[in-house]
Amino acid sequence: MKRSGKIALVMMGTSALTLTACEEPKTEAAIFETVEQCVAEQGLTAEQCYGEFDAAKAQHAEVAPKYASQADCEADFGPEGCEAAPYRTDTGGSVFMPLMAGFMMGQMMSGRAYTQPLYRSQDDSKNFRTANNRSIGGTIGRTQVSERAAGRPAQKLHTQQRGGFGARARATGFGAGA
Amino acid sequence: MERRTVRQRDNWREVAEEHGFTFHTPEGERYWDESHAYRFTLREIEEDLEGPAEELEQMCFEVVERAAADEEVLRRLKVPEMFRGYVADSWRNRERNLYGRMDFRYDGSGPAKLYEYNADTPTALYESAIFQWVWLEQAMEQGIVPEGSDQFNSLHERLIDAIGRFGIDGPLHLACARDTDEDLGTIEYLEDCARQAGLGTRRMFVEDIGLAEDGRFTDLDDEPVRWLFKLYPWEWLMAEEFGSRIPGSGTQFIEPGWKAVLSNKGLLALLWEMFEGHPNLLPTFFEDDPKAATLDGRYVCKPLLSREGANIAFVENGRTVMDFDGPYGAEGFIRQAHAPLPSFGERRPMCGVWLVASEPAGMCIREDKGAVTTDDARFVPHFILD
Repeated sequence: MKRSGKIALVMMGTSALTLTACEEPKTEAAIFETVEQCVAEQGLTAEQCYGEFDAAKAQHAEVAPKYASQADCEADFGPEGCEAAPYRTDTGGSVFMPLMAGFMMGQMMSGRAYTQPLYRSQDDSKNFRTANNRSIGGTIGRTQVSERAAGRPAQKLHTQQRGGFGARARATGFGAGA
Repeated sequence: MERRTVRQRDNWREVAEEHGFTFHTPEGERYWDESHAYRFTLREIEEDLEGPAEELEQMCFEVVERAAADEEVLRRLKVPEMFRGYVADSWRNRERNLYGRMDFRYDGSGPAKLYEYNADTPTALYESAIFQWVWLEQAMEQGIVPEGSDQFNSLHERLIDAIGRFGIDGPLHLACARDTDEDLGTIEYLEDCARQAGLGTRRMFVEDIGLAEDGRFTDLDDEPVRWLFKLYPWEWLMAEEFGSRIPGSGTQFIEPGWKAVLSNKGLLALLWEMFEGHPNLLPTFFEDDPKAATLDGRYVCKPLLSREGANIAFVENGRTVMDFDGPYGAEGFIRQAHAPLPSFGERRPMCGVWLVASEPAGMCIREDKGAVTTDDARFVPHFILD
Protein backbone atom coordinates (compact mmCIF):
# COMPACT_ATOMS: atom_id res chain seq x y z
CA MET A 1 0.00 0.00 0.00
CA LYS A 2 1.37 3.39 -0.96
CA ARG A 3 -0.85 5.44 1.30
CA SER A 4 -1.04 6.17 5.02
CA GLY A 5 -2.72 3.44 7.04
CA LYS A 6 -4.83 5.89 8.96
CA ILE A 7 -5.41 9.60 9.25
CA ALA A 8 -6.09 11.46 12.47
CA LEU A 9 -6.26 15.15 13.16
CA VAL A 10 -6.12 16.37 16.74
CA MET A 11 -6.64 20.09 16.22
CA MET A 12 -8.17 20.71 12.80
CA GLY A 13 -11.81 20.14 11.98
CA THR A 14 -14.87 19.42 14.07
CA SER A 15 -13.83 15.97 15.32
CA ALA A 16 -10.75 17.56 16.83
CA LEU A 17 -12.82 20.22 18.61
CA THR A 18 -14.75 17.68 20.62
CA LEU A 19 -11.49 16.21 21.85
CA THR A 20 -10.16 19.49 23.16
CA ALA A 21 -13.44 20.44 24.85
CA CYS A 22 -12.72 17.97 27.68
CA GLU A 23 -11.99 19.21 31.21
CA GLU A 24 -8.37 19.97 31.79
CA PRO A 25 -6.80 17.52 34.22
CA LYS A 26 -5.90 18.88 37.66
CA THR A 27 -2.97 18.13 39.88
CA GLU A 28 -1.86 18.64 43.50
CA ALA A 29 0.15 21.71 44.44
CA ALA A 30 0.68 24.11 47.34
CA ILE A 31 0.76 27.87 47.03
CA PHE A 32 2.32 30.34 49.47
CA GLU A 33 3.06 34.03 49.58
CA THR A 34 5.95 33.58 52.00
CA VAL A 35 8.24 30.82 53.27
CA GLU A 36 6.77 31.36 56.74
CA GLN A 37 3.29 30.37 55.53
CA CYS A 38 4.83 27.26 54.05
CA VAL A 39 6.68 26.27 57.24
CA ALA A 40 3.43 26.69 59.18
CA GLU A 41 1.68 24.23 56.87
CA GLN A 42 1.30 20.82 58.44
CA GLY A 43 3.52 18.14 56.97
CA LEU A 44 6.07 20.48 55.43
CA THR A 45 9.50 21.06 56.92
CA ALA A 46 11.46 24.31 56.93
CA GLU A 47 14.10 22.63 54.81
CA GLN A 48 11.55 21.66 52.17
CA CYS A 49 10.01 25.11 52.19
CA TYR A 50 13.27 27.00 51.82
CA GLY A 51 14.43 24.59 49.13
CA GLU A 52 11.31 25.08 47.04
CA PHE A 53 11.19 28.81 47.64
CA ASP A 54 14.80 29.13 46.48
CA ALA A 55 14.03 27.06 43.39
CA ALA A 56 11.14 29.39 42.52
CA LYS A 57 13.12 32.55 43.32
CA ALA A 58 15.96 31.37 41.09
CA GLN A 59 13.63 31.30 38.07
CA HIS A 60 11.99 34.64 38.77
CA ALA A 61 14.25 36.92 36.70
CA GLU A 62 14.24 34.52 33.76
CA VAL A 63 10.54 33.75 33.48
CA ALA A 64 8.84 36.95 34.68
CA PRO A 65 7.27 39.12 31.95
CA LYS A 66 9.54 41.97 30.87
CA TYR A 67 8.75 45.64 30.21
CA ALA A 68 10.69 48.52 28.74
CA SER A 69 9.36 51.02 31.27
CA GLN A 70 8.33 50.96 34.90
CA ALA A 71 5.05 52.65 33.96
CA ASP A 72 4.13 49.87 31.50
CA CYS A 73 4.93 47.25 34.11
CA GLU A 74 2.95 49.05 36.81
CA ALA A 75 -0.02 49.36 34.48
CA ASP A 76 -0.26 45.57 34.66
CA PHE A 77 1.02 44.90 38.17
CA GLY A 78 0.10 48.05 40.11
CA PRO A 79 2.07 50.83 41.80
CA GLU A 80 5.03 49.41 43.72
CA GLY A 81 4.40 46.14 41.91
CA CYS A 82 7.56 46.12 39.80
CA GLU A 83 11.32 46.03 40.02
CA ALA A 84 14.25 46.41 37.64
CA ALA A 85 15.25 43.19 35.91
CA PRO A 86 18.92 42.20 35.77
CA TYR A 87 19.01 42.93 32.01
CA ARG A 88 19.78 45.93 29.86
CA THR A 89 18.51 46.87 26.44
CA ASP A 90 20.92 47.30 23.51
CA THR A 91 21.10 50.99 24.26
CA GLY A 92 21.73 50.48 27.98
CA GLY A 93 18.16 51.14 29.16
CA SER A 94 16.55 49.36 32.11
CA VAL A 95 14.14 46.44 31.80
CA PHE A 96 11.33 45.98 34.33
CA MET A 97 9.44 42.99 35.68
CA PRO A 98 6.77 42.35 38.33
CA LEU A 99 7.74 41.48 41.89
CA MET A 100 7.43 37.86 42.81
CA ALA A 101 4.18 37.58 44.81
CA GLY A 102 4.48 34.00 45.95
CA PHE A 103 5.49 30.54 44.86
CA MET A 104 3.96 27.25 43.91
CA MET A 105 5.33 23.98 45.24
CA GLY A 106 4.89 21.17 42.82
CA GLN A 107 7.25 18.21 43.06
CA MET A 108 7.09 18.17 46.88
CA MET A 109 3.34 17.58 46.72
CA SER A 110 3.82 14.49 44.56
CA GLY A 111 1.72 16.13 41.85
CA ARG A 112 2.64 17.16 38.35
CA ALA A 113 2.90 20.89 39.02
CA TYR A 114 6.26 22.55 38.46
CA THR A 115 7.73 24.56 41.32
CA GLN A 116 7.76 28.17 40.19
CA PRO A 117 7.34 31.84 41.12
CA LEU A 118 3.86 33.43 41.11
CA TYR A 119 2.59 36.92 40.41
CA ARG A 120 -0.50 39.04 41.03
CA SER A 121 -1.80 41.36 38.35
CA GLN A 122 -3.56 44.59 39.25
CA ASP A 123 -6.81 43.73 37.45
CA ASP A 124 -7.15 40.33 39.15
CA SER A 125 -5.29 40.81 42.42
CA LYS A 126 -7.17 38.09 44.34
CA ASN A 127 -5.70 35.37 42.22
CA PHE A 128 -2.17 34.22 41.59
CA ARG A 129 -0.82 34.00 38.06
CA THR A 130 2.03 31.97 36.74
CA ALA A 131 4.80 33.60 34.76
CA ASN A 132 2.99 32.24 31.70
CA ASN A 133 -0.01 34.37 32.70
CA ARG A 134 -2.30 31.52 33.70
CA SER A 135 -4.57 32.20 36.65
CA ILE A 136 -4.35 29.44 39.26
CA GLY A 137 -6.72 30.74 41.92
CA GLY A 138 -6.17 32.56 45.20
CA THR A 139 -5.99 29.68 47.69
CA ILE A 140 -3.07 29.70 50.12
CA GLY A 141 -1.88 26.24 51.11
CA ARG A 142 -2.67 22.92 49.48
CA THR A 143 -4.83 23.15 46.41
CA GLN A 144 -5.66 21.69 43.01
CA VAL A 145 -4.40 23.46 39.91
CA SER A 146 -4.79 22.82 36.21
CA GLU A 147 -1.94 20.62 35.01
CA ARG A 148 -1.40 22.74 31.95
CA ALA A 149 -1.32 26.02 33.84
CA ALA A 150 1.11 24.59 36.36
CA GLY A 151 3.67 23.41 33.81
CA ARG A 152 7.20 24.67 33.64
CA PRO A 153 7.17 28.41 32.90
CA ALA A 154 8.86 29.58 29.74
CA GLN A 155 11.70 32.04 29.70
CA LYS A 156 10.55 35.60 28.91
CA LEU A 157 12.83 37.89 27.01
CA HIS A 158 12.48 41.58 26.59
CA THR A 159 11.38 42.19 23.01
CA GLN A 160 12.91 45.43 21.80
CA GLN A 161 11.32 45.53 18.40
CA ARG A 162 8.72 43.72 16.28
CA GLY A 163 7.68 43.85 12.67
CA GLY A 164 11.08 43.22 11.11
CA PHE A 165 9.67 40.41 8.97
CA GLY A 166 6.70 40.43 6.62
CA ALA A 167 7.46 43.41 4.37
CA ARG A 168 7.89 41.32 1.21
CA ALA A 169 4.58 39.55 1.68
CA ARG A 170 2.85 42.93 1.93
CA ALA A 171 4.76 44.35 -1.02
CA THR A 172 4.14 41.47 -3.45
CA GLY A 173 0.56 40.76 -2.45
CA PHE A 174 1.25 37.14 -3.29
CA GLY A 175 1.06 34.25 -0.88
CA ALA A 176 4.40 33.02 0.37
CA GLY A 177 3.50 29.43 -0.38
CA ALA A 178 3.78 27.75 -3.76
CA MET B 1 -2.30 7.75 -16.65
CA GLU B 2 -5.82 8.73 -17.56
CA ARG B 3 -8.23 11.44 -16.55
CA ARG B 4 -11.58 9.99 -15.55
CA THR B 5 -14.84 11.77 -15.09
CA VAL B 6 -16.18 10.59 -11.73
CA ARG B 7 -19.23 11.19 -9.59
CA GLN B 8 -18.67 13.71 -6.81
CA ARG B 9 -19.51 12.81 -3.25
CA ASP B 10 -22.83 14.49 -2.42
CA ASN B 11 -21.58 15.78 0.91
CA TRP B 12 -18.00 16.67 0.11
CA ARG B 13 -18.44 20.21 1.40
CA GLU B 14 -19.56 18.93 4.80
CA VAL B 15 -16.70 16.45 4.82
CA ALA B 16 -14.35 19.35 4.11
CA GLU B 17 -15.76 21.28 7.07
CA GLU B 18 -15.40 18.27 9.34
CA HIS B 19 -11.77 17.94 8.38
CA GLY B 20 -10.88 21.61 8.68
CA PHE B 21 -10.46 22.12 4.92
CA THR B 22 -11.46 25.78 4.83
CA PHE B 23 -9.98 26.97 1.54
CA HIS B 24 -11.57 24.55 -0.95
CA THR B 25 -13.38 27.36 -2.80
CA PRO B 26 -11.38 30.56 -2.32
CA GLU B 27 -13.20 33.73 -3.43
CA GLY B 28 -15.92 31.57 -4.95
CA GLU B 29 -13.47 29.92 -7.36
CA ARG B 30 -13.31 26.18 -7.25
CA TYR B 31 -9.98 24.81 -6.01
CA TRP B 32 -10.80 21.30 -4.84
CA ASP B 33 -12.31 19.53 -7.87
CA GLU B 34 -13.41 15.90 -7.56
CA SER B 35 -15.55 15.85 -10.68
CA HIS B 36 -12.52 14.19 -12.25
CA ALA B 37 -9.73 12.02 -10.97
CA TYR B 38 -6.45 10.80 -12.44
CA ARG B 39 -5.78 7.09 -12.53
CA PHE B 40 -2.19 5.84 -12.54
CA THR B 41 -0.71 2.39 -12.74
CA LEU B 42 1.62 1.34 -9.95
CA ARG B 43 4.43 1.13 -12.48
CA GLU B 44 3.87 4.72 -13.56
CA ILE B 45 4.01 5.88 -9.95
CA GLU B 46 6.99 3.86 -8.87
CA GLU B 47 9.18 3.91 -11.95
CA ASP B 48 8.28 7.22 -13.55
CA LEU B 49 7.70 9.48 -10.54
CA GLU B 50 8.76 8.06 -7.18
CA GLY B 51 12.06 6.60 -8.37
CA PRO B 52 13.13 9.70 -10.31
CA ALA B 53 12.19 12.00 -7.41
CA GLU B 54 14.42 9.96 -5.12
CA GLU B 55 17.28 10.11 -7.58
CA LEU B 56 16.83 13.81 -8.26
CA GLU B 57 16.93 14.53 -4.54
CA GLN B 58 20.36 12.92 -4.36
CA MET B 59 21.46 15.01 -7.34
CA CYS B 60 20.14 18.10 -5.56
CA PHE B 61 22.28 17.20 -2.57
CA GLU B 62 25.31 17.23 -4.86
CA VAL B 63 24.39 20.73 -5.97
CA VAL B 64 24.09 21.89 -2.36
CA GLU B 65 27.36 20.17 -1.53
CA ARG B 66 29.00 22.13 -4.33
CA ALA B 67 27.36 25.38 -3.25
CA ALA B 68 28.58 24.88 0.32
CA ALA B 69 32.15 24.42 -0.93
CA ASP B 70 32.16 27.12 -3.63
CA GLU B 71 30.84 30.58 -2.82
CA GLU B 72 30.69 31.37 -6.53
CA VAL B 73 27.66 29.05 -6.82
CA LEU B 74 25.80 31.00 -4.14
CA ARG B 75 26.74 34.23 -5.89
CA ARG B 76 25.22 32.95 -9.12
CA LEU B 77 22.06 32.11 -7.21
CA LYS B 78 22.04 35.69 -5.86
CA VAL B 79 22.22 34.58 -2.25
CA PRO B 80 23.17 37.80 -0.41
CA GLU B 81 26.82 37.87 0.58
CA MET B 82 26.18 37.96 4.31
CA PHE B 83 24.13 34.74 4.09
CA ARG B 84 26.54 32.65 2.06
CA GLY B 85 28.39 31.41 5.13
CA TYR B 86 25.12 30.81 6.95
CA VAL B 87 23.69 28.74 4.10
CA ALA B 88 26.89 26.73 3.75
CA ASP B 89 27.05 26.10 7.50
CA SER B 90 23.45 24.93 7.62
CA TRP B 91 24.43 22.25 5.12
CA ARG B 92 27.73 21.35 6.78
CA ASN B 93 25.92 21.05 10.11
CA ARG B 94 23.48 18.65 8.45
CA GLU B 95 20.46 20.64 9.55
CA ARG B 96 17.41 18.53 8.89
CA ASN B 97 14.77 19.41 6.36
CA LEU B 98 11.08 18.61 6.52
CA TYR B 99 9.48 18.63 3.10
CA GLY B 100 9.35 19.83 -0.47
CA ARG B 101 7.52 19.28 -3.73
CA MET B 102 9.02 18.55 -7.13
CA ASP B 103 6.79 19.61 -10.00
CA PHE B 104 6.95 17.41 -13.09
CA ARG B 105 5.72 17.38 -16.61
CA TYR B 106 4.30 13.88 -17.00
CA ASP B 107 1.62 12.33 -19.19
CA GLY B 108 2.12 8.59 -18.68
CA SER B 109 4.53 8.16 -21.58
CA GLY B 110 8.21 8.90 -21.51
CA PRO B 111 10.21 10.20 -18.58
CA ALA B 112 8.81 12.79 -16.19
CA LYS B 113 10.59 16.13 -16.59
CA LEU B 114 11.37 18.32 -13.61
CA TYR B 115 9.95 21.83 -14.07
CA GLU B 116 11.03 23.06 -10.68
CA TYR B 117 11.51 22.18 -7.05
CA ASN B 118 9.39 23.94 -4.44
CA ALA B 119 11.80 23.06 -1.69
CA ASP B 120 11.21 25.93 0.69
CA THR B 121 7.54 26.97 1.04
CA PRO B 122 5.28 24.48 -0.72
CA THR B 123 1.56 24.56 -0.02
CA ALA B 124 -1.18 22.15 -1.19
CA LEU B 125 0.16 19.91 1.56
CA TYR B 126 -2.97 19.50 3.66
CA GLU B 127 -5.25 18.69 0.73
CA SER B 128 -2.66 16.22 -0.58
CA ALA B 129 -2.12 14.47 2.73
CA ILE B 130 -5.60 14.53 4.25
CA PHE B 131 -8.43 15.50 1.99
CA GLN B 132 -7.21 13.53 -0.99
CA TRP B 133 -6.77 10.49 1.27
CA VAL B 134 -10.28 10.86 2.70
CA TRP B 135 -11.62 11.22 -0.84
CA LEU B 136 -10.12 7.88 -1.85
CA GLU B 137 -11.51 6.05 1.17
CA GLN B 138 -15.01 7.44 0.61
CA ALA B 139 -14.81 7.11 -3.17
CA MET B 140 -14.13 3.40 -2.76
CA GLU B 141 -16.94 3.01 -0.18
CA GLN B 142 -19.38 4.78 -2.49
CA GLY B 143 -18.30 2.90 -5.61
CA ILE B 144 -16.92 6.01 -7.26
CA VAL B 145 -13.61 4.27 -7.83
CA PRO B 146 -13.06 0.49 -7.64
CA GLU B 147 -12.33 -1.23 -4.32
CA GLY B 148 -8.67 -2.06 -4.02
CA SER B 149 -7.51 1.25 -5.44
CA ASP B 150 -4.53 2.88 -3.80
CA GLN B 151 -2.91 6.30 -3.70
CA PHE B 152 0.67 7.60 -3.67
CA ASN B 153 0.24 9.29 -0.32
CA SER B 154 1.97 8.38 2.92
CA LEU B 155 2.45 12.08 3.67
CA HIS B 156 0.58 12.18 6.96
CA GLU B 157 2.44 9.31 8.58
CA ARG B 158 5.79 10.50 7.30
CA LEU B 159 5.31 14.11 8.37
CA ILE B 160 4.54 13.10 11.94
CA ASP B 161 7.50 10.76 11.95
CA ALA B 162 9.86 13.34 10.43
CA ILE B 163 8.84 16.16 12.79
CA GLY B 164 9.50 13.81 15.70
CA ARG B 165 13.06 13.27 14.49
CA PHE B 166 14.24 16.86 14.60
CA GLY B 167 15.22 16.54 18.24
CA ILE B 168 13.04 19.52 19.14
CA ASP B 169 13.25 19.91 22.93
CA GLY B 170 10.94 22.87 23.47
CA PRO B 171 7.94 24.33 21.73
CA LEU B 172 7.93 24.43 17.95
CA HIS B 173 6.83 27.81 16.60
CA LEU B 174 5.07 27.81 13.22
CA ALA B 175 4.73 31.06 11.31
CA CYS B 176 3.32 32.35 8.05
CA ALA B 177 2.40 35.80 6.74
CA ARG B 178 -0.91 37.41 7.68
CA ASP B 179 -3.95 37.30 5.40
CA THR B 180 -3.08 34.14 3.48
CA ASP B 181 -5.70 31.46 4.08
CA GLU B 182 -3.84 28.81 2.17
CA ASP B 183 -0.57 29.42 3.98
CA LEU B 184 -2.38 29.48 7.32
CA GLY B 185 -4.08 26.19 6.45
CA THR B 186 -0.67 24.68 5.77
CA ILE B 187 0.85 25.67 9.09
CA GLU B 188 -2.31 24.64 10.94
CA TYR B 189 -1.92 21.23 9.42
CA LEU B 190 1.77 20.99 10.26
CA GLU B 191 0.97 22.14 13.79
CA ASP B 192 -1.50 19.27 14.03
CA CYS B 193 1.22 16.86 12.88
CA ALA B 194 3.68 18.32 15.40
CA ARG B 195 1.19 17.81 18.24
CA GLN B 196 0.79 14.22 17.16
CA ALA B 197 4.57 13.90 17.25
CA GLY B 198 4.34 14.91 20.92
CA LEU B 199 5.60 18.49 20.58
CA GLY B 200 4.28 21.65 22.17
CA THR B 201 3.44 24.19 19.49
CA ARG B 202 2.87 27.94 19.08
CA ARG B 203 1.38 29.36 15.93
CA MET B 204 2.14 32.93 14.94
CA PHE B 205 2.58 35.38 12.07
CA VAL B 206 6.02 36.31 10.78
CA GLU B 207 5.01 39.96 11.23
CA ASP B 208 4.76 39.33 14.98
CA ILE B 209 8.25 37.95 15.41
CA GLY B 210 10.16 40.09 17.87
CA LEU B 211 13.81 40.69 18.57
CA ALA B 212 15.23 40.66 22.11
CA GLU B 213 18.31 42.61 23.14
CA ASP B 214 20.45 39.50 23.22
CA GLY B 215 19.64 38.88 19.53
CA ARG B 216 17.14 36.09 20.01
CA PHE B 217 13.79 36.12 18.25
CA THR B 218 10.65 36.17 20.41
CA ASP B 219 6.96 35.38 20.05
CA LEU B 220 4.09 37.57 21.24
CA ASP B 221 4.49 36.19 24.78
CA ASP B 222 8.13 37.28 24.71
CA GLU B 223 9.20 33.67 24.79
CA PRO B 224 12.30 32.78 22.80
CA VAL B 225 11.72 31.22 19.38
CA ARG B 226 14.17 28.36 19.43
CA TRP B 227 12.62 26.21 16.68
CA LEU B 228 10.78 27.91 13.86
CA PHE B 229 8.89 26.36 10.99
CA LYS B 230 8.44 29.31 8.64
CA LEU B 231 6.19 29.20 5.62
CA TYR B 232 7.97 32.26 4.33
CA PRO B 233 10.62 32.20 1.62
CA TRP B 234 14.25 32.36 2.59
CA GLU B 235 15.01 35.12 0.10
CA TRP B 236 12.36 37.29 1.75
CA LEU B 237 13.63 36.58 5.25
CA MET B 238 17.16 37.44 4.15
CA ALA B 239 16.12 40.72 2.53
CA GLU B 240 13.96 42.06 5.36
CA GLU B 241 14.84 44.22 8.34
CA PHE B 242 15.46 41.37 10.80
CA GLY B 243 17.24 39.29 8.18
CA SER B 244 20.70 40.27 9.30
CA ARG B 245 19.85 39.02 12.80
CA ILE B 246 19.11 35.47 11.66
CA PRO B 247 22.65 34.05 11.85
CA GLY B 248 23.10 35.24 15.45
CA SER B 249 19.60 34.42 16.66
CA GLY B 250 20.18 30.86 17.77
CA THR B 251 16.87 29.97 16.11
CA GLN B 252 16.82 26.70 14.24
CA PHE B 253 14.85 27.25 11.04
CA ILE B 254 12.70 24.68 9.25
CA GLU B 255 13.25 24.56 6.33
CA PRO B 256 16.98 25.05 6.95
CA GLY B 257 19.04 27.72 5.18
CA TRP B 258 20.39 25.35 2.53
CA LYS B 259 16.88 25.02 1.09
CA ALA B 260 17.53 28.48 -0.39
CA VAL B 261 19.74 26.70 -2.93
CA LEU B 262 17.05 24.20 -3.94
CA SER B 263 14.09 26.57 -4.12
CA ASN B 264 16.01 28.84 -6.48
CA LYS B 265 15.27 28.23 -10.18
CA GLY B 266 19.02 28.47 -10.73
CA LEU B 267 19.05 24.94 -9.28
CA LEU B 268 17.69 23.70 -12.60
CA ALA B 269 20.58 25.26 -14.51
CA LEU B 270 23.07 23.82 -12.03
CA LEU B 271 21.50 20.37 -12.27
CA TRP B 272 21.76 20.48 -16.07
CA GLU B 273 25.35 21.66 -15.84
CA MET B 274 26.27 18.76 -13.55
CA PHE B 275 23.99 16.04 -14.98
CA GLU B 276 23.51 17.09 -18.59
CA GLY B 277 21.33 14.68 -20.50
CA HIS B 278 19.65 13.13 -17.46
CA PRO B 279 16.25 11.85 -18.64
CA ASN B 280 14.30 13.68 -15.92
CA LEU B 281 15.90 17.06 -16.54
CA LEU B 282 15.06 19.73 -19.08
CA PRO B 283 17.95 21.61 -20.70
CA THR B 284 18.26 24.76 -18.58
CA PHE B 285 20.76 27.61 -18.45
CA PHE B 286 21.33 30.85 -16.62
CA GLU B 287 20.25 33.58 -19.04
CA ASP B 288 23.76 35.01 -19.24
CA ASP B 289 25.28 31.63 -20.11
CA PRO B 290 26.36 31.56 -23.80
CA LYS B 291 25.11 27.96 -23.95
CA ALA B 292 21.56 29.28 -23.51
CA ALA B 293 21.73 29.94 -27.25
CA THR B 294 21.56 26.16 -27.83
CA LEU B 295 17.85 26.24 -26.86
CA ASP B 296 16.90 26.76 -30.53
CA GLY B 297 14.89 29.88 -29.93
CA ARG B 298 12.09 28.15 -28.07
CA TYR B 299 12.29 28.30 -24.32
CA VAL B 300 10.70 29.50 -21.10
CA CYS B 301 12.15 32.33 -19.04
CA LYS B 302 11.71 31.91 -15.30
CA PRO B 303 12.90 34.28 -12.56
CA LEU B 304 15.46 32.78 -10.19
CA LEU B 305 13.05 33.56 -7.39
CA SER B 306 9.32 33.36 -7.99
CA ARG B 307 6.19 31.48 -7.10
CA GLU B 308 2.90 30.40 -8.59
CA GLY B 309 3.88 31.02 -12.18
CA ALA B 310 4.50 34.73 -11.74
CA ASN B 311 6.81 36.49 -14.22
CA ILE B 312 7.22 33.44 -16.44
CA ALA B 313 7.60 34.18 -20.17
CA PHE B 314 7.44 31.90 -23.21
CA VAL B 315 9.83 32.78 -25.99
CA GLU B 316 9.78 31.59 -29.61
CA ASN B 317 12.39 32.63 -32.12
CA GLY B 318 13.49 35.41 -29.86
CA ARG B 319 9.97 36.79 -29.42
CA THR B 320 7.98 36.65 -26.23
CA VAL B 321 4.74 34.93 -27.18
CA MET B 322 3.17 34.78 -23.75
CA ASP B 323 4.09 36.15 -20.36
CA PHE B 324 2.70 36.31 -16.87
CA ASP B 325 2.66 39.34 -14.62
CA GLY B 326 4.17 39.34 -11.22
CA PRO B 327 6.48 41.03 -8.78
CA TYR B 328 9.57 38.89 -9.39
CA GLY B 329 12.59 38.87 -11.66
CA ALA B 330 14.96 41.42 -10.15
CA GLU B 331 17.57 38.73 -9.41
CA GLY B 332 17.76 37.44 -12.98
CA PHE B 333 16.32 34.54 -14.97
CA ILE B 334 16.95 31.05 -16.21
CA ARG B 335 16.02 29.73 -19.63
CA GLN B 336 14.44 26.31 -19.65
CA ALA B 337 13.69 24.21 -22.74
CA HIS B 338 10.03 24.43 -23.73
CA ALA B 339 8.14 21.34 -22.56
CA PRO B 340 4.45 22.16 -22.58
CA LEU B 341 2.12 20.70 -19.99
CA PRO B 342 0.19 17.76 -21.43
CA SER B 343 -3.46 18.22 -22.29
CA PHE B 344 -6.11 15.91 -20.88
CA GLY B 345 -9.30 17.22 -22.38
CA GLU B 346 -9.26 20.92 -21.78
CA ARG B 347 -7.13 20.62 -18.70
CA ARG B 348 -3.38 20.58 -18.23
CA PRO B 349 -2.17 18.68 -15.18
CA MET B 350 1.08 19.13 -13.32
CA CYS B 351 2.32 16.22 -11.19
CA GLY B 352 3.77 17.36 -7.89
CA VAL B 353 5.76 14.71 -6.05
CA TRP B 354 6.13 15.31 -2.33
CA LEU B 355 9.26 14.54 -0.42
CA VAL B 356 9.29 14.28 3.36
CA ALA B 357 12.71 14.28 5.00
CA SER B 358 14.04 13.87 1.44
CA GLU B 359 12.09 10.69 0.70
CA PRO B 360 9.27 10.55 -1.87
CA ALA B 361 6.03 10.42 0.09
CA GLY B 362 3.09 11.31 -2.10
CA MET B 363 1.67 13.20 -5.02
CA CYS B 364 -0.74 15.96 -5.91
CA ILE B 365 -2.14 16.95 -9.25
CA ARG B 366 -3.05 20.51 -10.00
CA GLU B 367 -4.76 21.41 -13.22
CA ASP B 368 -4.85 24.69 -15.02
CA LYS B 369 -6.44 25.69 -18.31
CA GLY B 370 -3.36 27.41 -19.61
CA ALA B 371 0.30 26.74 -20.19
CA VAL B 372 1.38 27.59 -16.66
CA THR B 373 0.13 26.22 -13.35
CA THR B 374 -0.84 29.30 -11.39
CA ASP B 375 -2.58 30.21 -8.19
CA ASP B 376 -5.89 29.51 -9.97
CA ALA B 377 -5.12 25.84 -10.61
CA ARG B 378 -7.52 23.20 -9.34
CA PHE B 379 -6.55 20.30 -7.15
CA VAL B 380 -7.73 17.00 -8.65
CA PRO B 381 -7.36 13.76 -6.67
CA HIS B 382 -5.59 10.68 -8.01
CA PHE B 383 -5.75 6.94 -7.46
CA ILE B 384 -3.65 3.95 -8.38
CA LEU B 385 -5.32 1.00 -10.08
CA ASP B 386 -3.65 -1.53 -12.34
